[in-house]
Amino acid sequence: MKALKKIGGMLMALLRELADESAYRRHLAAPGRMHSGAEWRRFSDERLRRRYERAKCC
Amino acid sequence: MRGSVKRTIGWLAWGAVSAVAAVALGVVALDRGEAINSMWLVLAGACTFALGYRFYGKFIAARVMALDDARATPAVRLRNGHDFEPTNKWILFGHHFAAIAGPGPLVGPVLAAQFGYLPGTLWIIAGCVLGGAVQDFTILVASMRRDGKSLGEMARQEIGRLGGFTALVTVLLIMIILLATVALVVVNALKGSPWGTFTIAATMPIALFMGLYMRYVRPGKVLECSLIGFVLVVAAIFGGQAVAQSATLAPVFTLTATGLATAVVIYGFFASALPVWLLLAPRDYLSTFVKLGVVFMLAVGILVVRPSLQLPAFTRFTDGTGPIFGGKVFPFCFITIACGAISGFHALISSGTTPKMIARESHAWPVGYGSMLLEGFVALMAMIAASVMQPGVYFAVNAPAGVVGATPAAAVATISSWGFPVTAADMESLARAVGEKTLFFRTGGAPSLALGMAHIFAGAGGRAVLGFWYHFAIMFESLFILTLIDAGTRVGRFMLQDTLGHVAKPLGRTSWMPGVIATSGAIVAAWGYFLYQGVRDPLGGINSLWPLFGISNQLLAAVALCVATTILIRMHGARYLWITGIPLAWLVVVTFTAAWEKIFSPLARVGFLAQASQLAARLGAGGLTVAQAAEARRVIFNDRLDAVVCGAFLVMVATILIDSVRVWAGVLRRRG
Repeated sequence: MKALKKIGGMLMALLRELADESAYRRHLAAPGRMHSGAEWRRFSDERLRRRYERAKCC
Repeated sequence: MRGSVKRTIGWLAWGAVSAVAAVALGVVALDRGEAINSMWLVLAGACTFALGYRFYGKFIAARVMALDDARATPAVRLRNGHDFEPTNKWILFGHHFAAIAGPGPLVGPVLAAQFGYLPGTLWIIAGCVLGGAVQDFTILVASMRRDGKSLGEMARQEIGRLGGFTALVTVLLIMIILLATVALVVVNALKGSPWGTFTIAATMPIALFMGLYMRYVRPGKVLECSLIGFVLVVAAIFGGQAVAQSATLAPVFTLTATGLATAVVIYGFFASALPVWLLLAPRDYLSTFVKLGVVFMLAVGILVVRPSLQLPAFTRFTDGTGPIFGGKVFPFCFITIACGAISGFHALISSGTTPKMIARESHAWPVGYGSMLLEGFVALMAMIAASVMQPGVYFAVNAPAGVVGATPAAAVATISSWGFPVTAADMESLARAVGEKTLFFRTGGAPSLALGMAHIFAGAGGRAVLGFWYHFAIMFESLFILTLIDAGTRVGRFMLQDTLGHVAKPLGRTSWMPGVIATSGAIVAAWGYFLYQGVRDPLGGINSLWPLFGISNQLLAAVALCVATTILIRMHGARYLWITGIPLAWLVVVTFTAAWEKIFSPLARVGFLAQASQLAARLGAGGLTVAQAAEARRVIFNDRLDAVVCGAFLVMVATILIDSVRVWAGVLRRRG
């Protein structure tokens, strides 16, 4: 049961990482940053800009 | 005492894995006659990969790359919460795998199955362990030790300016061929299919909705939004079935290959110029989750259904007369499998985001080496999906009309005469079961892969759900191919703008709209041209485009291995040169032979110039109608263009190779 929980937790953490939700949480951890629509857009624009400067794999 | 018992148990366990690998490989390689079960391929792959990971991968990690957890990684030293962030190794493993897994390992093995399941399977297993995983791993470590530098930057730093510049131009050219090839796969999968076309068309408004939802309605809720998007896409698959059965709507969504190619080109242009948050990013999130889910489902499906392989170990087409693409098993099997065994594009990912997220040096072993082995496993599953079909059906779907005959009756007669019996009634019944009008001449690999996957998924649910799973598989393949087209066009535009910016400054500014439009148009026109060429090719297009893509991708791997070899020589002299030197030598032999044959083979089915000469002779002899003559002139021009592109790849990689050898000799001389 404990192992299953651990695997489930790991899977959710992977999905959050792939969805950029973990990165956003790290972004908010910096002093003076609060979640808001404008903050998410600022974070997301910068992250997506960098991501799509690189080729996707075939 | 306890330690020695543990060690003994460990050795016994690995001995057992080795024995299972040997038996499974023996069955796969030597069994003839009766159809073998797909589990033998799974066992052979899983056990060999486990051994490769545990022993060869660990040897490279410990002795060659000398991974040391005491050395701080850039993720720790330069931590900024964005790019540089120490990440749990299994999360990073999933992240890296999601980034390297594209359509290549799925489509390549399906096409290579024309030689039988054995050549491709053996190359996937050996190529992954000794080549692909080594390349991904060494480049990942090299980039990690250089603060996350890209392959191009490392080529410039380790080999020289010429090598760096050539690597940049090679990547741009490869991207153009790649985009045209994968676009052709989508076009061939959707032509004449209102169900498939509607489903894919519906993903555009769904992605737009997701983009707006994530940006303005529920900012930051990407997982929640992706789940909604997935439900909507599944609804679109059911909607597609209704559209296909509607007398009014079916004709609207029934497009010809040329019509679909036009739609994909227009889409590519607009999608690459639109803000990424609106279309590209939401679909990319969705496609990543669907991709991981489908790979998992396919693995579970194969384990549950355990289907038997219907294709023989070898077909008669190892002699080079294959209907899907011309050329002998050597070298063409090795370039067709592409990313399933070794992929140059992986080096771009291994020197991109991943090295900036590694928390400890030792994590590079599972992330770099292990992810590639999992990708090899995906390729094996694709090989199984292609091989569980009746061979007659497999060839009827994948062979172009120009080779087997333009009508179903002619096609089944030709294919049956090869010893792979199939009837027009079988094909019609199968087409009806998956909700399509016909499955003949669906070149490109995607439809046959979808059929194989549907066959496996429907194993539990019966023939009634075959149609749903077939279109689910088509949706899954098209979804991430369109994301690749969109992102690839955008990256190509950036590269072009970067280069043109040296000539005219405004063209280099990504915010200057006329520059954006002009460079997007140029990139789309470049891959769109090759796409049209493929669509109008009487031999199906894949015959010429996939080998070009395979050659270019493997040549990029050769560039990456040149960089890795240079780094190993700087670290250890000639001692471990063989680790990257052997796969590099193999790739050079394979790709240069394949490229040479594609250009100069005297067989018209293989060589571009031979086909051009044959058509020129027919044109010279007269007797063609005006339309036929115009068509012949166009094909002659395209054949010559393909030969030039192929030759350009060879020259560029030969340049990097010669430059590398010069650097290696210098380093070895200095080390004495």
